[in-house]
Amino acid sequence: MKINIYVILLAIFGIFMSCEDVIDVEVTTATPRLVIEASLDWEKGTLGNEQLIKLSMSTPYFDVTSDSGVSGASVKVTNTNSGEEFLFEDQNDGTYTTSNFVPVLNDSYTLEVVYNNQTYLGSETLMPVTDITNVTQSVEGGFDDELLELNVYFNDPADEENYYFFRYYEEGDLFPLLADLSDEFFNGNEVHDFWEKQDDEDNNEEAFEPGDTVEVSLYGISERYYNYVRLLIEQYYSGGDPFSSNAAQLRGNCVNQTNPNNYPFGYFRVTEFVKASYTFE
Amino acid sequence: MKHLLCIAYFLFSFSVFAQEKFTIRGTITDASNGETLMGATAFLQGTDNGSVTNEYGFYSLTAIKGNYTLIISYMGYETQTKQISLDKDQTINFELSESATALDEVVITAEESEQINIKKPEMSVAKLNAATIKQMPAVLGEVDVVKSIQMLPGVTNNGEGSSGFNVRGGAADQNLVLLDEAIIYNTSHFFGFFSVFNSDAIKDIKLYKGDIPSKFGGRVSSVLDVRQKEGNRKNFNLTGGIGLISSRLTAESPIFKDKGSFLIAGRTSYAHLFLKAVEDFKDDKISFYDLNLKANYEINSNNKIYLSGYFGRDVFNLNKIIENGYGNVSGNLRWNHVFTDRLFSNLSMIYSKYDYQIVLDFIELDWIADIANYNLKYDLKYYLNDKLDLDFGVSGISYLLNPGEVSPTSSESPINYLKLDDKRAFEGAAYISAEHQISKKLTAQYGLRFSQFMRLGGQAMTTYVNDQPVIFNDELEIYERGEALDEIYYSKGETIKDYNGLEPRLGLSYELNSASSLKASFTKSTQYLHLLSNTASVTPLDVWTPSGQYIKPQRSTQYAVGYYRNFSEKGYALELETYYKTIKNRIDYIDGSDLIGNNNIETEILNGEARAYGMEVLLRKTKGKFTGWLAYTLSKSEQRTLGGKAGGPGINGGNWYNTPYDRTHDVSVTAAYQLNDKWSFSSNFVFQTGRPVTYPNGQYEYEGLSIASYSNRNRDRLPQYHRLDISAVYKPNKHPERRLKGEWVFGIYNVYNRRNAASISFGQSKVSGLNEATRLSIFGIIPSVTYNFKF
Repeated sequence: MKINIYVILLAIFGIFMSCEDVIDVEVTTATPRLVIEASLDWEKGTLGNEQLIKLSMSTPYFDVTSDSGVSGASVKVTNTNSGEEFLFEDQNDGTYTTSNFVPVLNDSYTLEVVYNNQTYLGSETLMPVTDITNVTQSVEGGFDDELLELNVYFNDPADEENYYFFRYYEEGDLFPLLADLSDEFFNGNEVHDFWEKQDDEDNNEEAFEPGDTVEVSLYGISERYYNYVRLLIEQYYSGGDPFSSNAAQLRGNCVNQTNPNNYPFGYFRVTEFVKASYTFE
Repeated sequence: MKHLLCIAYFLFSFSVFAQEKFTIRGTITDASNGETLMGATAFLQGTDNGSVTNEYGFYSLTAIKGNYTLIISYMGYETQTKQISLDKDQTINFELSESATALDEVVITAEESEQINIKKPEMSVAKLNAATIKQMPAVLGEVDVVKSIQMLPGVTNNGEGSSGFNVRGGAADQNLVLLDEAIIYNTSHFFGFFSVFNSDAIKDIKLYKGDIPSKFGGRVSSVLDVRQKEGNRKNFNLTGGIGLISSRLTAESPIFKDKGSFLIAGRTSYAHLFLKAVEDFKDDKISFYDLNLKANYEINSNNKIYLSGYFGRDVFNLNKIIENGYGNVSGNLRWNHVFTDRLFSNLSMIYSKYDYQIVLDFIELDWIADIANYNLKYDLKYYLNDKLDLDFGVSGISYLLNPGEVSPTSSESPINYLKLDDKRAFEGAAYISAEHQISKKLTAQYGLRFSQFMRLGGQAMTTYVNDQPVIFNDELEIYERGEALDEIYYSKGETIKDYNGLEPRLGLSYELNSASSLKASFTKSTQYLHLLSNTASVTPLDVWTPSGQYIKPQRSTQYAVGYYRNFSEKGYALELETYYKTIKNRIDYIDGSDLIGNNNIETEILNGEARAYGMEVLLRKTKGKFTGWLAYTLSKSEQRTLGGKAGGPGINGGNWYNTPYDRTHDVSVTAAYQLNDKWSFSSNFVFQTGRPVTYPNGQYEYEGLSIASYSNRNRDRLPQYHRLDISAVYKPNKHPERRLKGEWVFGIYNVYNRRNAASISFGQSKVSGLNEATRLSIFGIIPSVTYNFKF
């Protein structure tokens, strides 16, 4: 569990006579930027040859109509240790795929995207991940003593700094739950993370019940990606509440070589991950 | 140098041309309860020789041998006159009675201390006494010192539910808040909904927004000087109140055969009692309490001892999942000593501490942080002659900061023990100031403060490659943590880094006529402690950090000019001030900074600068049945944070950006009306430009979520804030002969139920999947009732 004290403060805050409502707010719109979602994730024990990269353009904040997928770019990933190149094929819907990718733990990879005569480069190292040792359910744990929660256990390797990215998803949900963790407070220990849902009519959320199926993926990530995704997650879930830190422009690891000012959004990550599925009893 | 010559000249003239002179001194107190009166005037009729009592009610007057009429006055009290023949030094104490008329006809609510003193160079000062504060409508009927000063020009806060207050565009940590001289590090209960000051224990407050006297230092924006009552020296006395949120009880009594007195005041909230009654919340606890103590003992006419203390705490316990507590403790032992008729001294020994604790049961973590200081202070006042008073003194503060200690609460906890390095520091200062009447029209206040700060060892300091704790990544254009090179351990006796500050304080007053004057001031100030906070609201768990190798002291320079006018017939007073303030070394946080549990804060910050300027208008009506004021402020507060040693353009591209405390317009109106001796009414109205915030300017898809991209820092603003509050006080007073006197206070906060945004957050609806803006508003319309009594 990430020690997000601000979330707790907010909970305490909410006990007072506060109230929330959705309002119309005028926001400005910046010039669109290229978004590179290049997540080469290798599930432990698989070949990892099938990979997908998404390119899109950013849109106005409240825009719901734009088709933002970007076609016509050339996308290439190179293993800088071996020199091997992987070309990603344009599917003309904003996605670019390959089935020849070869993941090698701790090797470095470089991404090159050429779009509109501008070249974007990013590099990243494939980080290994430790296994999930156990997935359980309980009632007494978590925030609420009466609600079901999912528990995930894994052993953090000692003698090194480790960074993790979690993706939780319950079948039928609109969105996954993302979380990040560094071993700063837990180095070398058995780490326990939990996911508990509350009954919340406003958000159409219901507590877990027997029969619900959930999936958890645990990714080993680089420190730089941790810094990026930590901020992304914090901003996504707080979005300007009183205890959130100053909202800032997120800068990933891809650089526009042609025109640095026209930097892209998104990130080029290369990770190993493990996945577990669990059905509540 | 010129000033020194002036002083020397007067010293010289005094000794050469001295005729036979004698001194009268004494203490002026309130006849009903023996409380000393600060700001009362002792004046020799037919001369311009007068003295104003200091914070201990002491005055001293020196004049040529002769017969005089001595006039003692204090607004709202009956003036006393006394024929004296000044042929020897003498001590005369006075007891003033409240004006008899006050009880039935005209109630004069503003004391002299709240009126403008046209002659004195003192400016940018606001004084409020407990009576005025108690009269103002308050949320849930909780009378609040910190909320009341926000009705004054140039004072705002960051919205309901944020701690502290902001003065002239400054941050909350730039205010020196003193309770009986002890530093209070967090002024709020319930995360800022209420303040820690129990109005029943408070005598008066004084807020210096600029032109800070040289005896104060250590903060760059303002000084809030809160003084507790001394305790009734005449009778045993109980006051109290029962409100919706809290109840109060204060006992005062003379002790040691009227040689002294004490006061003990308690206040506690009882929301948790209601929570118990509700099944869902029966395990929850939310409460705060305060205890104020004061005692004094007069050894003889030259020696008096005061003891004061404060203890306050907030406790939250949510369903045994989260336990959270924080609070201030302070104590002060003072010794007033009169050396000669013209030399008054006070020695103070002060301790104060603020601590914060959070226990998270679900991950078995216990977190503690605190800051404590010992302060020894010696202040002297020398009444040199009828034209010149000298204040001087020294102080030393020793700080010990524990920025955080994390421990597991059980042996199975996955948490490892972690202790951030304790930090030690010493802040010493010496000051002198002189009020000097240069001519009949021109008065000057010269002040000089020299402060020295030593960051002491007892910890290791990290050094960085190229001495850069923060590095600009040219490629990605982001600031990143620097690479640690080594750790150097400093033993407790060693000084890691020292700084000093020479802080001149100059005030001038030019009397245009008997009712109006022009004033100007120049103030330099240095702040060695910084509150680390990268969130929009100041929270109780923000930690203080001392200056050191990487964090430099903040240094402010403020210029102010003002025009003051009393329309004494009708009781109106007008104050017009403009100011310009710059602050060097104001730190700001790099994008993505992480302050929690961080031992190396220097890797998260850049040193910036701030500037603020504005115009303030205050129109007061202080006499009659209808009293109150209108305050308007037009101002700007900005910050710029360049990359400096870290390289790169800095935060926000190196451009100036609004601080969160920037309010273009700020209007406050407070009015009180005394209908008859049973009913009185009052109301507040506030209008403010919205707080600067950062809104999204686009979105993109990542991990299946819509991620917001944000515009430049603090480029946008929350909607305007406005609110009207009203209250009515009913004093049944059916049996005026009885000792028990009660009053009912009925209030309505936010009468027209404006949903002022405390924040607006942006996110994706879990129902529709669309982006939406959600407003968080705290207090809607809230009625309240409070019963106050006095016995």
